[in-house]
Amino acid sequence: MRQRQLDQIVKSVAESGDKLPREERRRFLRQGLSLAGATAAASFAGGALADSGNLPPNVPSWTRRLGPGVLTNPYGQPSPFESHVQRRTVDWLTADRIAAISFTPLGDLNGIITPSGVVFERYHAGAPAIDPNQHRLMIHGMVKRPIILTMDDLMRFPSVSMIRFLECPANGGMEWRGAQMDRLQFSHGMLACCEWTGVLLSTLLEEVGLEADASWILAEGADGAHMSRSIPMEKALDDALIVYAQNGEALRPEQGYPVRLLNPGWEGNTSIKWLRRLEVGDKPWHHREETSKYTDLMADGTAREFTFVQECNSVVTHPCPERPLKGKGKYFIEGLAWSGRGKIRHVDVSVDGGVTWREARFTSQVLPRALTRFGLEWDWDGSPALIQSRAVDETGYVQPTYGQLKAVRGTNSIYHKNAIHTWRLEPNGTVSNVQIS
Amino acid sequence: MYRFLSAALVVLAAGCGAPQEAAEPSKPTYDDSRVGHFGYGKPASAEEIAGWDIDIRPDGLGLPQGSGSVEDGEWLYEAQCAECHGSFGEGVGRFPVLSGGKGSLTDPRPSKTVGSYWPYTSTLYDYIRRTMPFTQPESLTADETYAVTAYVLYLNDLVEDDFVLTHENLASVRLPNEGNFVPDPRPDVSNTRCMTDCRDPAAISVLSEVPTYVPASMTMEEIAEAEPAHPGAATYDQYCSICHDVGVAGAPRIGDAAAWSSRLERGMAALEMNAINGIASEAGVMPAKGGFAHLADDEVNAAVAYMVEGSQ
Repeated sequence: MRQRQLDQIVKSVAESGDKLPREERRRFLRQGLSLAGATAAASFAGGALADSGNLPPNVPSWTRRLGPGVLTNPYGQPSPFESHVQRRTVDWLTADRIAAISFTPLGDLNGIITPSGVVFERYHAGAPAIDPNQHRLMIHGMVKRPIILTMDDLMRFPSVSMIRFLECPANGGMEWRGAQMDRLQFSHGMLACCEWTGVLLSTLLEEVGLEADASWILAEGADGAHMSRSIPMEKALDDALIVYAQNGEALRPEQGYPVRLLNPGWEGNTSIKWLRRLEVGDKPWHHREETSKYTDLMADGTAREFTFVQECNSVVTHPCPERPLKGKGKYFIEGLAWSGRGKIRHVDVSVDGGVTWREARFTSQVLPRALTRFGLEWDWDGSPALIQSRAVDETGYVQPTYGQLKAVRGTNSIYHKNAIHTWRLEPNGTVSNVQIS
Repeated sequence: MYRFLSAALVVLAAGCGAPQEAAEPSKPTYDDSRVGHFGYGKPASAEEIAGWDIDIRPDGLGLPQGSGSVEDGEWLYEAQCAECHGSFGEGVGRFPVLSGGKGSLTDPRPSKTVGSYWPYTSTLYDYIRRTMPFTQPESLTADETYAVTAYVLYLNDLVEDDFVLTHENLASVRLPNEGNFVPDPRPDVSNTRCMTDCRDPAAISVLSEVPTYVPASMTMEEIAEAEPAHPGAATYDQYCSICHDVGVAGAPRIGDAAAWSSRLERGMAALEMNAINGIASEAGVMPAKGGFAHLADDEVNAAVAYMVEGSQ
């Protein structure tokens, strides 16, 4: 009883700053909007109503009343003012949205961790709705002890957490023949970086015991595509992880709930989601996603297979088409660099199309096979600029130009495009995607 | 006993401005003496494995017993596959092309089909078995899968019309492009880390470009040189978009042609009047001027026009 009275008081106080006419307010509430919805709408109205009223020296409306209490959102969501931060897709890329891809809004994010809700999606048969209690992981083939694990079984094994990027090998693959995507989200957004938690695949392989000639593993999903890839034993025993958690919570359904494979630094396609089966063998299987697709066609008609590593790459995320500049002055150019071969050692930035370069500084932790954030102070004089970044990884590999990449591979390989990217900045502050000579 | 590759090191960055690098988790190496160490889970029975073990290898390992003819495959293909892949394997819309493309791999627009690109017949059987038909994966029998596989081979002129594909002959049906797959030679491209005078500025030209994307958050003066904004755009962006972007309280979303056309049935003037005076109906609730009483009627009307024009 007392709690109800208190709620009533809180509610009326929350509404008192609302400048809606009383009649409108009654109608508004009569429509059966939830308290949470009504409060959110009222605070929208309050925020914008104020115009100058919320600015100094005035005391903002939200400071003069109470806000909603705890558990208004038992699982919190971003502020409604951030509703523009969304995964998006490019409809002409795929025949439908079941076997399709969406892109991470890289320009809206900070640091090196991609929030789970906006990690790019890639499905071959949609995202299955899996009951974890009825999900099983089978490990068999050239092993001494073929086993079936429940999720509870899997979670009993010693766990490991690591921050690693995940990138589709087709990221940027639409631009081999020329600039085509109008913004950062679409030019580089098949990319994310999360903290992944799970069991090292080597731990599970040790548990089942490998036979002498065991040298490849087939990983297979429980989705309608039974998505499958052949993984060399060397990777399986190195850092491959059987993942059940992402950024501290259970994997999202879009990312393979309840369990997926993660091959750090390798093409995302090998990191099978909704993992149901691991078969150990002595040869690769040459399945559709490693022959017809995810092979790199060269200009001479040959095709490279099992091109696993995502080579060193980088992109400037500010400015970018989604984040234009507002007049000349001092700016902090920012971006992301990553390499499937390890840590990033240097990132250089050019604003003149690659004539001169300045070394950027790291603004995040520098972790192997993880997104690494860099930044460089820049005083923009308002003239047109061609902004680029060039990353160097710990193996000494220097990110190539488009010219260098195309000279070796032609323009038909689709996958593994990691060329230096150019943003053209106009005097009005807008930014567009160009490829330069 | 676990052997560790190396103890993780904490490396302190020395004055180059990089934050302290983090220690990495330790990586145990595979140890044969620990087989069955935890004992979790249960043994997988032969029957359980058989139910899930659907994979096929190029050497034929994994093929189920059975057979299927081109003739049977034609009927099945027309019923189950042609809707997306076309009667001749030509592909409908953006769904995959299955046939043709011979000799096109060095063309500017190569056509990568079963006949022109795929290296192994086993891949075709395996893929049809694990994922086709698209809306009913794993619904074909072993014999049906042989028949459809045989028919796709026939569409690529790889077998005759009286051909029967079986678990015994599948691995011997070789595809023409098998020999053109090569191992990954990367790193195959190199660049140098030049810092100054790296190229001739006069030689820089734009080879390709994309029309400028202008984010909705830009104000009018910022895009003055790009394109003139709609007179209602600024009001919309600052006020109306709060509800009409996502559809708060039943607000018709900008771009939702159906939602707007039903509201336009009573005419533009009625729509403007509702926006200025507010409305409450089954469909939704809008306070007068969206609650922004300071807006002039003209500003509201312009924003309404902007939304209507953007929703056709």
